[in-house]
Amino acid sequence: MNELLNNKTESFLSSPVKLSSNHLLAIEGMKKSEIQNLIDRADYFANLDKHSNTKTLQGYVVLNVFFENSTRTRVSFELAARRLGAEVINISLINSSIKKGESLLDTASTLNAMKPDLLIVRHPHSGAPLLFANYLNCSIINAGDGRHEHPTQALLDALTIKRRVGYLEGLKISICGDITNSRVARSNIHLLTIMGADVRCVAPSTLMPSNLENLGVKCFYDMKMGIKGADVVMLLRLQNERMSGTENPSEREYFKFFGLDETKLALASPNAVIMHPGPMNRGVEIASALADDSNRSLIKTQVEMGVAVRMSIIEALNNTKNEILKN
Amino acid sequence: MTYTIFKSIKLLNPATNLNEISDVVIHKNKIFSISKDFQTEVLKQNNQIDIYDCDGLTMTPGIIDMRVNIGKTENLVSTQKIAAENGITSMVILPNQTPKLNNPSIIDHIKRQSENSKLPKVNVYGAATKDDQGLEMSEIGLMSEMGAIGFTNGNKSIKNSLVMRRLMSYAAMINRPIIQHAEDEDLSGLNKASTTLINGEMNEGEISTRLGLIGIPSCAEVIIIERDIRLAKLTGVNYHVAHVSTRDSINVIREAKKAGLKITCDTAPPYFSLNETSLLSYNTAFKLSPPLRIEDDRLAVIEGIQDGTIDAIASDHRARSKDTKVQPFSAASIGASGIETLFVMTLELVHKKIIDLNKAISLLTINPANVLNMKKPSLEKDKLAEFIIFDENFPDMINQNNLKTSPTPFDFRKINGKILGTFINGQAAYISQMFKDKIIK
Repeated sequence: MNELLNNKTESFLSSPVKLSSNHLLAIEGMKKSEIQNLIDRADYFANLDKHSNTKTLQGYVVLNVFFENSTRTRVSFELAARRLGAEVINISLINSSIKKGESLLDTASTLNAMKPDLLIVRHPHSGAPLLFANYLNCSIINAGDGRHEHPTQALLDALTIKRRVGYLEGLKISICGDITNSRVARSNIHLLTIMGADVRCVAPSTLMPSNLENLGVKCFYDMKMGIKGADVVMLLRLQNERMSGTENPSEREYFKFFGLDETKLALASPNAVIMHPGPMNRGVEIASALADDSNRSLIKTQVEMGVAVRMSIIEALNNTKNEILKN
Repeated sequence: MTYTIFKSIKLLNPATNLNEISDVVIHKNKIFSISKDFQTEVLKQNNQIDIYDCDGLTMTPGIIDMRVNIGKTENLVSTQKIAAENGITSMVILPNQTPKLNNPSIIDHIKRQSENSKLPKVNVYGAATKDDQGLEMSEIGLMSEMGAIGFTNGNKSIKNSLVMRRLMSYAAMINRPIIQHAEDEDLSGLNKASTTLINGEMNEGEISTRLGLIGIPSCAEVIIIERDIRLAKLTGVNYHVAHVSTRDSINVIREAKKAGLKITCDTAPPYFSLNETSLLSYNTAFKLSPPLRIEDDRLAVIEGIQDGTIDAIASDHRARSKDTKVQPFSAASIGASGIETLFVMTLELVHKKIIDLNKAISLLTINPANVLNMKKPSLEKDKLAEFIIFDENFPDMINQNNLKTSPTPFDFRKINGKILGTFINGQAAYISQMFKDKIIK
C-alpha cells in the first residue's frame, strides 16, 4: 500500500509547470516533457479536495472570449480560473461586435486595452488565436479554433486516460468519426503521437482529411479493423454544422458502419474504455447504452478532468510569464 | 534638339535575337541609332547631348504585364505609376472590378481614363459574360471594337460548358483569345450559388490537414483545362490559361500544344517561387487563388517555364488592404500584390540558372505580346524608344515597408536586380536617382 502511494506521489507535480511559450495555442510543436508536466500537475489538482485552497492567482484577470457557442468548455475554464483565485469575465461575442462589422483586430485591441493577464479564445476560424497572440500583450489559450486544434481537450483526455490506465506510451488508441472537421481529433493525434501512443484513425473516406498518415497515425475505413485490440476508443461528434450534405448518406447509415455498438466494441481490447469529447449524438456515434455504461465510458470523467487540466495550464502560463519577467 | 546616349549598355532584344554591348542613342521619341562606338561628332554642334555611362546595365523592351487586378482600394493612374517604376510599360487589367468591365462604353471609358503618353499603356480584358453566374455572353464584338484584347471572367472560372463553347466559337470568329481562370468551383467550394458550406481556403494536402483549413484539391484546375482544351479543339479559338499552378495542368497543356492546338498559358511568381508550406503560420499574404501548391507542382511550373510550355509570366497583381488581410485565414481576402515584384522575382530564375536572361525577358515582353496579338515590342533603329534599363545584379531585399502595394508574399526575400529607368513613347516614365547619377555630360 505504501509502495503504491509512493508511486502515485512520484507522478504528481506539486509545483507549477513552466512552459516554453507564453501561450497555449496548439499541441503540435509542444515538447513531450511539457505535456507530461501539465498532466502530472493536473493530476495533482484532480486529487485535491475541491475546498482546498488553491487560490494562488489573486488579482489575475482572465477574459473568457467565446466567438462560438460553448457550455462545457466555457464553464470548465471559468471554474478552473476561479479555483485558482483569478477574476474571470465571460464575453460572448457570437452576436455582438462581429455582426456590427468590427474587425477581429479591433476587437483584440479593445480587449487588450483592458489589460487582461489571460485571454481564453474560442473562434470558428482556424488560426484565430494565433492572430490574437500576435497582437495582444497577454497570454492566450486556444479553447478551440475552427478545425485546427483544441489543445486543452487533448490534455484533459490524456489525464483521463492516465488516471484510468496509468500510462500513454504504447497504448492502442482509436479515434473514430468526423476527423476532417474535428479540432479535438487533431490535438489528440498530436498529443498522443508525441507521448508515444499507437494512434489509429477511423472515419468514412469523406471525413478523413488528406495525407493524415503524415501526422504519424494509421488510417482505417473499416471500424472493425480500426478498433481491433484498441485500449481506448475515442469517438467524435459528427459535426453537421460544418458539412455540406455530401459527406454522409444518412445518420442511420453512419451508425451502421461507424457508430460504436456492442458488436464492434467486442473487437477492442477486453478492458477498452470509451471516450467522447461531447456533446454526443446518441444513436449516431455511439449506442446510447454504451455511453451510460459506467464501467467502460469515461465521458463524465473527461468533463471532470477538464477543470484540473485547465487549472494546471492557467497556472503554468502565469508561472511562465513570471519567469520571463524575472529574466 | 536633345540626343540621349546610353553608352556601353547591354542591349537585349528578343525580337531580333540581339544581345550585345552597344551605344544606344534616342532622339525625338525614337531610337536614333544602335552602334558599337557612337561618335558624338556626327551630331550637329548646337544639339544638347546627354550621355549616360551604362556600363554594367542592361536595356530591354518594357514588360507587358498580362494580368493585373485593380482592386477597390486602388486607383488606375496610381497603379500605372507604380507599374512604370517597376519596368512595366504595358499592362492588361481584369474585368472583375467595380463596376464590371462588361460593356463597350466602360471599356472605352477605361481606355480614355488611362490614356497618358507618359504612363504604361492600359489594355483591357472584357468580361466574357454579363452576369456573375457566367450564363449570358457579353457584347464581346462591340467590346473588341472599343479595344478589349481578350475575354475572361477574371478570377472566376467560366463554368458552364455550353456558355464556354459559344464564347470560344464567337471569340474565334472575331479573333480574340479567351482567358480562363481554371478552377472547378464546385470542387474548390467557391461556387456561392450552391448550398455548400465549404469554402476552399488552400491547397488540399498534409498542410491543410495540419492547419485545419479547407483544402482545394489540385485537380480542380486541370479538370477545367481538360474540358476547355476539348472545346478549343472544337471551336479553333486561341485559348489561354491564366496562372497555371499544377503539374497535371502543365502536362495537359504541353500535350495539347504538341497536338497543334492554339493553347497558351502563363504563371505568376508565387507559383514558381513558393509552395504551400509558406502557409504554416496562417500568414494571409499567402492566401492566393489558385492556392500555393506542393513542392512538386512548383518544380513542374519551373520545368514548364524552361521547356516553353508556359508562355509568359504575369504579376497576377491583386493588392489588398491591411483591413482585409489582418484577419483569421478563413476570413481574409484572397490575393497579393505583384507589380512591384514581377521583374525581380522573374530575374531570380536567371540568378538561379534556371533560365537565361534572354528567356526571362521574352517571358515578360515578346511572349505576352504574341499570346494577346499585341504589337511585338522590339528595339530597333527608327522604332519607338520604349524600353527599360536595369542593373541585373544590384543586391537588394524585398521589404513590405518600402513597397507601395500590399501584401507582398516575398517580404524579406533577398534578391538581385533593380529597375533604373522606364521609357514609354520615347519619354522617361521613371528614372531613378541612381541612373541620373550616371550622366557624364
